[in-house]
Amino acid sequence: MTTSSDLIAQLERLGGDFAAVIAPLVDEQSIRAAQAQFLGKKGQVSEVMKELGRLPPAERPLVGQAANKVKDAIAQAVEARLEALVAAKREADLARTLDVTLPARPVGGGHLHLLTQVRLELVDIFAELGFAVAEGPQVETDWHTFEALAIPKDHPARDMQDTFYIADEIVLRTHTSPVQIRTMQAHPPPIRIVAPGVVYRRDDDATHSPMFTQIEGLVVDEGVRVSDLKGVLLHFVNRFFAGTGGRLGGGLDVRLRPSYFPFVEPGVEIDMSCGFCRGSGCRLCKGTGWIEIGGAGMVDPDVFAHVGIDSERYTGFAFGMGIERMAMLRHGVNDIKLYYEGDLRFLDQF
Amino acid sequence: MKAVWSWLLELCDLPSVPTVEEGARALTGGGLEVEGVTDLGAGFAGVVVAEVVGKRPHPGSEKLTLVDVITARGGSATQVVCGAPNVPEPGRKVLWAPPGAALPGGITLAVKAVKGVESPGMLCSETELEIGDDDSGIIVLDADDGTPLGAPAQQALGVNDWMIEINAPANRGDCLGHLGLARELCALLGGRLVPPAPEPDLDALAADLDAAALAAVTIADPDGCPRYVARVIDGLTVRPSPRRFAQRLRAVGVRPISNLVDVTNYVLFELGQPLHAFDWHHVRGARIDVRRARAGERMTTLDGQERALVPDDLLICDGEGPVALAGVMGGAESEVSAATTRVLLESASFQPRSIRRTARRLALPSEASQRFERGVDPELAPLAAARASVLLARLGGGRIARGMVDVYPRPVVRPRVPLRLSRTRALIGADVGAAQCESALARLGCDVVRTGDDTWEVTPPSARTDLTREVDLIEDVLRVHGYGNVPATIPALRVGPAPLADDIADRARRALAAAGLAEAITYGFQSRERVAALGVSADDRRAHPVAVKNPMSAEQAVMRTSLLPNLVGALARNASFGLRDAALFEVGAVFLRKAGTALDGEPRELLDEPLHAAAVLTGARPSWLGAAQPWDYFDVKGMLEQLLRALGAGEPRYVATREIPYLHPGVAAHVLAADGTRLGEIGEVHPAMREQLGVLAPVFMFDVALEALPAPTPAQMRAVPRFPASTRDVSLLLDDPIPAARVRDVIAGASQPLLETVRLAEEYRDAAKLGAAKKSQLWSITYRAPDRTLTDPEVDAAHEAIVSRLLADTPAERR
Repeated sequence: MTTSSDLIAQLERLGGDFAAVIAPLVDEQSIRAAQAQFLGKKGQVSEVMKELGRLPPAERPLVGQAANKVKDAIAQAVEARLEALVAAKREADLARTLDVTLPARPVGGGHLHLLTQVRLELVDIFAELGFAVAEGPQVETDWHTFEALAIPKDHPARDMQDTFYIADEIVLRTHTSPVQIRTMQAHPPPIRIVAPGVVYRRDDDATHSPMFTQIEGLVVDEGVRVSDLKGVLLHFVNRFFAGTGGRLGGGLDVRLRPSYFPFVEPGVEIDMSCGFCRGSGCRLCKGTGWIEIGGAGMVDPDVFAHVGIDSERYTGFAFGMGIERMAMLRHGVNDIKLYYEGDLRFLDQF
Repeated sequence: MKAVWSWLLELCDLPSVPTVEEGARALTGGGLEVEGVTDLGAGFAGVVVAEVVGKRPHPGSEKLTLVDVITARGGSATQVVCGAPNVPEPGRKVLWAPPGAALPGGITLAVKAVKGVESPGMLCSETELEIGDDDSGIIVLDADDGTPLGAPAQQALGVNDWMIEINAPANRGDCLGHLGLARELCALLGGRLVPPAPEPDLDALAADLDAAALAAVTIADPDGCPRYVARVIDGLTVRPSPRRFAQRLRAVGVRPISNLVDVTNYVLFELGQPLHAFDWHHVRGARIDVRRARAGERMTTLDGQERALVPDDLLICDGEGPVALAGVMGGAESEVSAATTRVLLESASFQPRSIRRTARRLALPSEASQRFERGVDPELAPLAAARASVLLARLGGGRIARGMVDVYPRPVVRPRVPLRLSRTRALIGADVGAAQCESALARLGCDVVRTGDDTWEVTPPSARTDLTREVDLIEDVLRVHGYGNVPATIPALRVGPAPLADDIADRARRALAAAGLAEAITYGFQSRERVAALGVSADDRRAHPVAVKNPMSAEQAVMRTSLLPNLVGALARNASFGLRDAALFEVGAVFLRKAGTALDGEPRELLDEPLHAAAVLTGARPSWLGAAQPWDYFDVKGMLEQLLRALGAGEPRYVATREIPYLHPGVAAHVLAADGTRLGEIGEVHPAMREQLGVLAPVFMFDVALEALPAPTPAQMRAVPRFPASTRDVSLLLDDPIPAARVRDVIAGASQPLLETVRLAEEYRDAAKLGAAKKSQLWSITYRAPDRTLTDPEVDAAHEAIVSRLLADTPAERR
């Protein structure tokens, strides 16, 4: 004769059995399986409950309550066990250590040439002042390279830039200034361009290379003044040498020193104050406190005449600088040949 | 141009005497860049002027003399031992280096016994002081030397002075003499120029000699010689120049020779006018004719060289033939010698271009030709002739024939240049006053006449041939005003042309750097061997590079026609110092003759300069804690595709080829755009080519012409898929030579609208399992519809359609 107290005792024993069954289990799947073994349709709890019908109806609720209690206990035991497992797993995971000083796995590794980096930065700086980029051929006519720039044959200024010849009237351009001519021929003022590019001169030592890179600037408009040239150059040196990416601090000055280039009048050499030693004397400024960085001037009326621009109405300025020299000054490069040898021991430094 | 500071000051009357540093700063600021200032007397210190008051032989040596010297009138004498043979008689002055004096080479003198007699210091020779090359004896000052006793030796030697080296601009021939520099100094510091006297004093003239009777001058080529001035100086004695006179020449880098030669050099440096002194007795017929050379004519120049002349050469001839190459070099026969007593002095002006050509052709640059090439002011000729005559008479004890012969067929017309104050201010961007303009120009020697409220008429000095236009005058006003007084402004921005240059080259560079390649920049020229290494056929423009006519070396003989040889050369260079893993790219122009022009010889027009992007990989990728992974073809292919994507070029196509001579015949392809345009090449560099350039390991490359790429259009968004895709795989057994692209093309061409992507997931060969020359490929094909989730039957139908197309169109079996 089954009694309600027998069933209740069986149910309570099952609760205890379940705890013993899951105690050694370490994965969710077997815990769930054990749970089903006890609570499933054919589980042990259901087996016990099949006996319920044999009890007098008045006793059934008592057994029902006991069954619910056991079911809750089992469910809670499952949850507790699972939580403990997750916690143990996390704890085990956190016990891991890695030698964080092992070398990095290489990523990328490619980079732009220092001269490209500097050129792009120069172009960006002048773009802030509204300069667009212009280009021209490296193999140029004698006319664009010299004649139109007021350097006729036999002009002493041709000595200043010993020229590689391709044919009698075709040269490797000795400066980027022919781009001025091509631009003025193609566009009416206002003009505001920079022309970076490769140029060639017969010269070869630690600071001269037969091929090097210049950047040329040209502004032509009504009312362009020497003071505008000075302001643009002042902006440039302070952005490039002292601004973002520079290492000289602020407040660099620009000195224009009268000089002669046939295609500008007045013509000047551009000096910047030496931010490396602040005038106290160093290798770069040779103790003078000033570093020469290029040439400039107001576009000569003869040049305007060659390209059909009215020099009474328009004035303009032009400037030119060596990009290698800019990079040498800012990055301490001590031999111009390093730029062109493809030597990764050099290239990879920048 | 080298200048001596005291010499400059002699030609200036300045309100206060500047220090040499102040002078140098002023000149540099004015555009005459001072490149160096040398203290001429810095080599020694403590050496003083002393008078010999007694001398007697050294008791222990015949060669030594005991000399008593004083350094103050009435002071006590000191006995010095001297080994020189020329110890002077009492009353003459010598230079004594007493104990404590410092000589060149770091020698400090002390009291020292010489053959048993103590000598406090020594008497000095030129070589010991390093002020000259006379080592035959000690320096004995000229008898009439006025330097006080005890004064520093520098004062007596004329080396208490500075040499300043000035880089005069190419258009300032007037600054190749002290006079021109002094004019600048006066303008910059506010002073007055003091030129030498325009005519000799009457008492230096020989009443009985008339220049016109002693020299007849004709000019047959007035373009070549606009002016010729001749003077005659008689009764000369050739001897060394006085010490301080000679010292000035040494300071400017000219070796003193004799008074006659030294005077012409002295005046050249003083005034910038080159002179020539002929021995009058060797000027045949007492006449000078200036003319061009005749064909086949020859002459011997004073360096003893016989020179063949061309009709372009300008000659100075006497009654019988050439006696000088005008402005370049004198002739041997008429040169002054130790026996010369009468000199015909030439002070002329020659056409710059003519002198330049002759000096270049004969490779005879000289102080004279250098000045004529830049232009010598014809108005300077009489002044220089007078100055040199006076100096010759003084240094050579001669007399100057009365008058000068002056043939001046083309007198200089000084231009009158209009100048506007308004224009001056507008161009400079500073408030320059009218008075400032006037005084600046006047100080530079211009005649300035006011012609209106805003205007002047300015006549520059004849020496300033560079001043012909208003803007030239404005520059000089600005030079004197000072660039430091110009404000800094930013030009007002008006809308100009849009950016002119395409930045495709820089976009390519950024993409390739991001792909892991390091950028190289190599020379635009290269050797003929590197061009030949490409091995391209004779009908290819790349086989016919344009030559540089005057290269500096064989490595720079021709313009590059491909980026590849220089890049492979860079790999070789890196390998030579042990860097065998390298991944380089270059983006730049190559230089090709224009299509349809001659393939050889000098081009008659400009070249095509197409922009190329090329990459080379060799060795292994940067490795990490394990075995190196060598670069291969698929690495370089991935980089190329990244480049093309970045440039908006879309998926390229590859066509295998064996026809590219510098690529491995089995690993080479043409790269084509989707529309079939040929973009470039990809593959493994031919082993023969890379070995020739010095690379022993495989090199993978691509080279594409950026101009060939279609112009990019802004990418347009496609709808992000809202429904899931389904993937089906098909495994195929294929003959090995069938390219993957062919299978892919069949799949893509099967016109299945549901097909989204095709991917080759796996490829393998296994002769045992698959058979020889067979391969297995697993293709993974993804299907999707934009508007619904596909059902399995739909996907299966599409997939089977593609598979049956594959089996029909390619010799493939399904596995």
